[in-house]
Amino acid sequence: MRQSLGARAAQYALVLAATLLINFMLPRIAPGSPLQLLAGSEIGHLTADEIAAITEAYGLDDSLWEQFFTYLGNLARGDFGFSYRLGEPVLSVLWERIPWTLLLAGTGLVIATILGVVLGSYAALRRNRLPDAAITGSAAMIQSIPTFFTGLLFLAVFGAQLGWFPTFGAHDMIPPEGLWERMTDLLDHLIMPATVLVMATYPATLLTTRYAMVDLVEEGFIGTAYSKGLGESTILFRHGLRNAILPVLTVFALQLGYLISGTVVIETVFSYPGVGHLMFEAVLGRDYPVLQAGFLLITVSVIAANLLADISYQFLDPRVRYDAARSTH
Amino acid sequence: MTQPDQRTERVRRSGAEHLQRVLRLKVPQRQRTLGIAGLVLVGLLILVAVFAPVIAPYDPAERVGRPFGEPSSEHILGTNDVGKDIFSELVFGSRVSIVVGFTTAVSAVAIGTLMGLLAGFYGGWVDAALMRLTDVVLVIPFLPLMIVMAAFFGPSIPNLIIIMALITWPWAARVVRSRALTLHSRGFVESAKALGATNRRLMTRYFFPLLMPLALSQFVLVVPYAILIEATLSFLGLGDPTVATWGSMLFWANARGAFLGDAWLWWILPTGMAISLTVLAFTYSGYLVESLIDARSRRH
Repeated sequence: MRQSLGARAAQYALVLAATLLINFMLPRIAPGSPLQLLAGSEIGHLTADEIAAITEAYGLDDSLWEQFFTYLGNLARGDFGFSYRLGEPVLSVLWERIPWTLLLAGTGLVIATILGVVLGSYAALRRNRLPDAAITGSAAMIQSIPTFFTGLLFLAVFGAQLGWFPTFGAHDMIPPEGLWERMTDLLDHLIMPATVLVMATYPATLLTTRYAMVDLVEEGFIGTAYSKGLGESTILFRHGLRNAILPVLTVFALQLGYLISGTVVIETVFSYPGVGHLMFEAVLGRDYPVLQAGFLLITVSVIAANLLADISYQFLDPRVRYDAARSTH
Repeated sequence: MTQPDQRTERVRRSGAEHLQRVLRLKVPQRQRTLGIAGLVLVGLLILVAVFAPVIAPYDPAERVGRPFGEPSSEHILGTNDVGKDIFSELVFGSRVSIVVGFTTAVSAVAIGTLMGLLAGFYGGWVDAALMRLTDVVLVIPFLPLMIVMAAFFGPSIPNLIIIMALITWPWAARVVRSRALTLHSRGFVESAKALGATNRRLMTRYFFPLLMPLALSQFVLVVPYAILIEATLSFLGLGDPTVATWGSMLFWANARGAFLGDAWLWWILPTGMAISLTVLAFTYSGYLVESLIDARSRRH
């Protein structure tokens, strides 16, 4: 069964430690000099003073242990390194990009969850019949189309050919005057990437909901509800979904990893200025500090979301609280 | 000494009976049709990969036409931004996908089966430690992790395969482990223990043969996943720069704005279709293989 909250928290601490260790070790074990890997490939353009400053900041002349504590200390002070490619501290670069990713990922997550839960419940009620086959079949098919391909097709068809939506960025180069105009401008730029993100993420929610609901439907009380003559939507939402919400919540948290991966790809396709596109730029520019900070930020947010889901689990399912109180596990 | 062999024989026979039952009843017609269609597509893909030099009219690495050429009798899918023949790149790209998919899946499932076997067989702290390890690997968001690792170690196909195998093995490990745990209480395992079978013998002769089908079904799951991830990483500019893969073809199509004109019809569409069909073909074959191997595995 599910582990207690404490055990989960310990596990996340382990994940965080592993991430920090990976981040710390990569520039030091990868082929090439750590100095170059920590600064990015612009090392040829660095002055002797800058090289001395980097060596000092990362403690590169110290032992590996001391370097590790220097690394942790820097992070604790909010020092994620310096992007020589952009000439800015990594933290301020990230800070500008986070809101865009939150906007895109948040919109995508909400719509994908609603769509997945509603379609999944409906498929479960019509299980093994035509609507179920159509809904689950199409979801499985959409799942095998790579996100970047869907994105490129949207760009070509709805962007370039039909001209319905802009193909680049999160807003016009010169944002229009007025609040309303600005809002519609943002929305115009958001629709295509958000739609592709929804397509990439709703199948998993749908399939989980369907399987959870099918189990429930076979338990019998749904049949009772039918025989009482209750309406379909009442049965679906009042009886079914309330009980199927827990597995859906688990997949919601698991989804975040996929969702984030999806945003990296989608922001790249649509040149959407979020953290994902920043990582793509960092890959092309060999801007390692930005890559590492992006990786750390994404891992921390996935951990936080998982923890949040675990905590809400406690509130939603009294059985979990009961079990946790009884068992020592 | 004949005892274990008889047991294995019986297990094998009941497996065959099971398989027949599955063939007759348990696999819905639709799934069987899709599965066979998937297997046929996989077969075709392998043929294309093997006979790529015969099928492709040009060397995919040579500049054989003018840049951004439209489809013509010489170049049926036109040419890319540097004048390479897109159709030839597409044909040779199948080799990369297949090699990456199979090698990754073999390595990931081999590591995963070994870890799962050890965890499920020994239990206790071995199990606890290995399962915590799989938890950690599964929680870290895989794409950013792969991007960071590929960026540091340099984009080459062997590197990508190693990185993907290191990140996908926990799936197989968990499935194999939970099945291995249940085997301890099976009658023939208990009697073998009572007869003094060594751990090594128990693992290799009793556990391993029974876990093999499970490993195979995991293999079928990892192949399409690895193909998809390789394409994604190549699309993000982390592919091997010396080889044209389907993902890197789309990287260049995107970088050169192929979606702005008509070029998407012969550059983006066929390439994306090739990736999608390949992934779909392996996924559908997976349905069939999975339900043939063990009808019960679908419920978990």
